[in-house]
Amino acid sequence: MTPSARSRLSMSSRILVVDDEEDLELLVRQRFRRRIRKGDLEFVFAHNGKEALEQLEENPDIRMVLSDINMPVMDGLTLLSQLESADADVCAVIVSAYGDMANIRTAMNRGAFDFVTKPIDFNDLQVTIEKTLRHIEMLQEALASRDRLVALRQELLVASQVQTAVLPAALPVTEHFDVHASMTPAREIGGDFYDFFSLDDDRMGLVIADVSDKGIPAALFTMVSRALLKAAARNHASPAECLQEVNELVSQDNDACMFVTLFYAVLDLRDGRLVYSNGGHNPPRLVRGGEVQEVPATGDIALGIALDHEFHDAELPLQIGDSLFLYTDGITEACNAAEDEFGEQRLDDLLHELGDDGAVGTVEAIVSAVEEFAAGVAQFDDMTCMALRLNSTSSD
Amino acid sequence: MANHTPLSVPSEEHGNAVILCPTGRVDGTNVAILQGAVRERIDAGQTTLVFDLVELNYISSAGLRVLLMSARDLQSHGGKALFCGLSEQIKQVFEITGFDKILAVLGTRDDALGAI
Repeated sequence: MTPSARSRLSMSSRILVVDDEEDLELLVRQRFRRRIRKGDLEFVFAHNGKEALEQLEENPDIRMVLSDINMPVMDGLTLLSQLESADADVCAVIVSAYGDMANIRTAMNRGAFDFVTKPIDFNDLQVTIEKTLRHIEMLQEALASRDRLVALRQELLVASQVQTAVLPAALPVTEHFDVHASMTPAREIGGDFYDFFSLDDDRMGLVIADVSDKGIPAALFTMVSRALLKAAARNHASPAECLQEVNELVSQDNDACMFVTLFYAVLDLRDGRLVYSNGGHNPPRLVRGGEVQEVPATGDIALGIALDHEFHDAELPLQIGDSLFLYTDGITEACNAAEDEFGEQRLDDLLHELGDDGAVGTVEAIVSAVEEFAAGVAQFDDMTCMALRLNSTSSD
Repeated sequence: MANHTPLSVPSEEHGNAVILCPTGRVDGTNVAILQGAVRERIDAGQTTLVFDLVELNYISSAGLRVLLMSARDLQSHGGKALFCGLSEQIKQVFEITGFDKILAVLGTRDDALGAI
């Protein structure tokens, strides 16, 4: 709730009574004296539409107006038009002669909330006031909720933009490899990320990761993990050492038990040698001559779940024409309407079929196959994948 | 998207231990149900929980997080969590993520009850 909305609700309800008959003021003060004494109702008086507008200007917390129709200077119907065109945040109740349906219709069409007839039946007026105040309160609550929702959506949008901004906008291109990636978050902000960066003239870093859970806490953890890994990658040549450092940092004081599965590899462009460490992530695939195989695990664990784990490196010499396919489980666990999963078998079959289709072709074919499989069923998990094909080595 | 995928957490008392048997799928949309069931037991002073996962078809990383939190929570109260009845699929998730190295994973429910 906005602070102004809160203060409006907790305050006594202030009602503006507009009538050119002087004795109405006395009558109202008399009839509502208990409520006025208790402080839950407060009345302000004006004698015509013009005075009413001045009072509203002076008392911006007035939410209800009770107005006569026939008055000198400015009548009640004109007052209603003025309130309507000023988009005033007030509820108007009109007092009209009994049976004056023409004026009552006009008043309702100009936005009056209700009407009471003359001579005023104060019991009926009391009921009408209660009803109007309840309506105003509900309206304010609805507005406050809407404001909160708008603010929240705005924050999510910003978070989503920040997160997209930290993914590499354009992946580096050289003659030695092509690389392509795609990420489809399930919600406004996801918990997956990928990265591909150059460590020096000869070595490239390659990352894919999936943070436990989704939404804002996961997104924050994602940002932290990604930044920590990138920093570690500058300091340690060994992927295992990088993972170890990040793991130690994210495991400390990790009461929420957040974790990230993360595969990090360093590709040496001089000879195609890939050194990697796999922190609990789905094994990437190596596609060599159309044959698909899992990149062997390194016996390691997701980052964040155990402070003292020692990570291991493994080595995979890539040959020219080899492709690596990295993905998060949003790909293999994508569900269709029958709740079947896309599954690893479909993925492997498709990679086998695609053979040596290049990084862009592979990623696009897999993403569209998953989309076709899900056939419009909204997914619970982010879907991220990345492909890299080695075209040549720099020592050639 | 469905608001919740089906999940129930039937439980059974066995001596000093309580066996929780999450049934269905655990993912981000319903993980609070599992968390609530565990919380209730821990708050009631339960120190040994056996998670029999034999009826569990699927667990997302959000679900794994709650299992880990439960195990840590029980440990900090001097208790323990044991996990058993993993299907091939759930076992694979535990192995890939390394949760099988962090949590006390046993074969069947009897194995788990024997290990208390």
